[in-house]
Amino acid sequence: MIKVEGLYKEFKLSKKQKQDRGSNSDVAIAVDNVSFECKPGQIFSLLGPNGAGKTTTLRMISTMITPTRGKIEICGLDVKKNPNEARKKIGFLTGSTGLYERLTPDELLKYFADLNDVPKEKFLERKEHFYTLLNMHDFKSKKIGQLSTGMKQKVSITRTMIHDPEVVVFDEPTAGLDVITAENIITLIRNCKTENKTVIFSSHIMTEVDLLCDDLAIIAKGKLVYSDSMSNFRSNMQEKTLTGEFIRIVQTSSIN
Amino acid sequence: MKKIIIIAKKEFLDILRDRRTLIRMILIPLLVFPLIMNIVTRIQASQAEKQAEKELTIGYTLNGQSSEMIDRMSEAPHYKFQEYTDTSSLRQDVASKKVNIGIIYSAHFFTDYNLGQQAEYDILYRGADYEDYERFGKLLTTEDSILVDKRMKSLNLAYSYILPTKANEQNLSPLKEIIGKYAGGLLPYIFMAFCFMGCMLPAIDLFAGEKERGTIETLLTAPVNRAQILIGKMIVVTSFGLLSATVALVGLFASLNMFDMNPELKQSINEILSPQLIVTLYLLLIPLALFFAGVMIPISVYSRSFKEAQSILTPLNIVMVLPAMAGFFPGVELDYTTAFIPIVNVVLATKSIIAGNADMVLIGITFFSLILLAGLSVLISLRQFSKESMVLR
Repeated sequence: MIKVEGLYKEFKLSKKQKQDRGSNSDVAIAVDNVSFECKPGQIFSLLGPNGAGKTTTLRMISTMITPTRGKIEICGLDVKKNPNEARKKIGFLTGSTGLYERLTPDELLKYFADLNDVPKEKFLERKEHFYTLLNMHDFKSKKIGQLSTGMKQKVSITRTMIHDPEVVVFDEPTAGLDVITAENIITLIRNCKTENKTVIFSSHIMTEVDLLCDDLAIIAKGKLVYSDSMSNFRSNMQEKTLTGEFIRIVQTSSIN
Repeated sequence: MKKIIIIAKKEFLDILRDRRTLIRMILIPLLVFPLIMNIVTRIQASQAEKQAEKELTIGYTLNGQSSEMIDRMSEAPHYKFQEYTDTSSLRQDVASKKVNIGIIYSAHFFTDYNLGQQAEYDILYRGADYEDYERFGKLLTTEDSILVDKRMKSLNLAYSYILPTKANEQNLSPLKEIIGKYAGGLLPYIFMAFCFMGCMLPAIDLFAGEKERGTIETLLTAPVNRAQILIGKMIVVTSFGLLSATVALVGLFASLNMFDMNPELKQSINEILSPQLIVTLYLLLIPLALFFAGVMIPISVYSRSFKEAQSILTPLNIVMVLPAMAGFFPGVELDYTTAFIPIVNVVLATKSIIAGNADMVLIGITFFSLILLAGLSVLISLRQFSKESMVLR
């Protein structure tokens, strides 16, 4: 369960940034009073154009950065008050997630399992489960730097899931990946749903959203401009395509 | 603590697998001294051999004087004597390197000598080939002694007559103290330079490198706080600085024992590198290495990439290592002012320990001021590492 209430984030601007933006303000508002809820066993999609505040929102949810104002709860835990406890419940994956290239998948997974206090037996069991599921046995002892993009993505997925998180955050997880590698991610997101996990993901690709999500929210210029279920989104569409409808909502919000 | 150890263990493994870092932090410090000593001793030996076997051509103008001096000198090996009738040709040939040294006797050389006066001759040489003049000078000194002896005998006087005093010098300073005074600055300088270099690559790799590779995000979402991440990484940066310095010291020690050296000097050097000195050196170097790490980490955290961090930290190398040269200046000693200046205090403290005149109060001040500084630099690093705008820049 993720509960976001009145989330607000501003960044201080340097002199150069102020000049570049032609702004007199000392701060830039990245997320402005955003509230939503993601339920277990459901996939929540966060949509928005570039620079809308999706990544900032997801980074706040995954405790990487702290909100200026507002509240985030992960499975009932306030991320500001109990960041480490909240982190144990979160799995985080982006399309551009880097891996320690000088380690082997075995060593990397052990590292993250240890950081997450996963008991040895559970770690071995989960590791074996993912090695079999994603066909990783052949390269488990190879250095990650020697692996293909697809293999690396499998390692990333396993790293995200090794501690069996209740909440999984995906920030544009398929961006820049080929179709086959992206398919692994899609499968993972689906599996998370069947395992009753809470999933939130951001994406640009409307077909992906249509295929996966139960609820969606659209943010533009830091503000929440739409939040409803996917079925309501489809039935209330004023445009012919999902992409067309998404563009219409974003454009209408900028006029308003 | 458990999380800090997990992070430190992983970072050790990661760094130890980086060939580039290993070469710069372990292989180079280990081999640099044996290599330098080997090359220097080989060059010195071959130059000395070449110089001794080189045939020197000595041109001379007798100006009507007896050739008895020349005859005696020409018996020495590796010399060729060539007579000139005119001095300007001799000057020209010395200047143009056709002849190594020129001797021009005055027209009344032996008359003056026989009259008990100073007999003069000119020596022509080129300052650029001073070693030739030095070598020939020894032959001339011998010749001079023969003439003095001859003259004293003709006067029925002993040679000691013109040398009324003889000082019997007795050096009461142990060789260890002399080495401490004149070369004592070298050991901590080497130690510090390698410690700094050893800290640099891990500091860049573990912060700027992690940002560049995009791995920092996953680490920040793991259930560890920033202080634990920072301390875990800082342990690794500091350890590699100390490791690099230790390896350099081992290399230096090995090279000293590998090559021919005056046994007394060798024994003194081995005495200097006593367990007491090593322990004190480490006591001072651990907080200093932490301070180095504390200076480098905020820069590395600020940098967007490995390259950017390297471009900022490399010039800093000079700024950090320059004060270490304080130990080379005579007269600069550990006192109540220098004991508070980082780097300078370590060099001077070590120098005083080597020379055997260490003041334990000043050593204590040095140690505690370094601890304070290290603590401060850790706090600055933590502050920088806690800034979202820096870590996710």
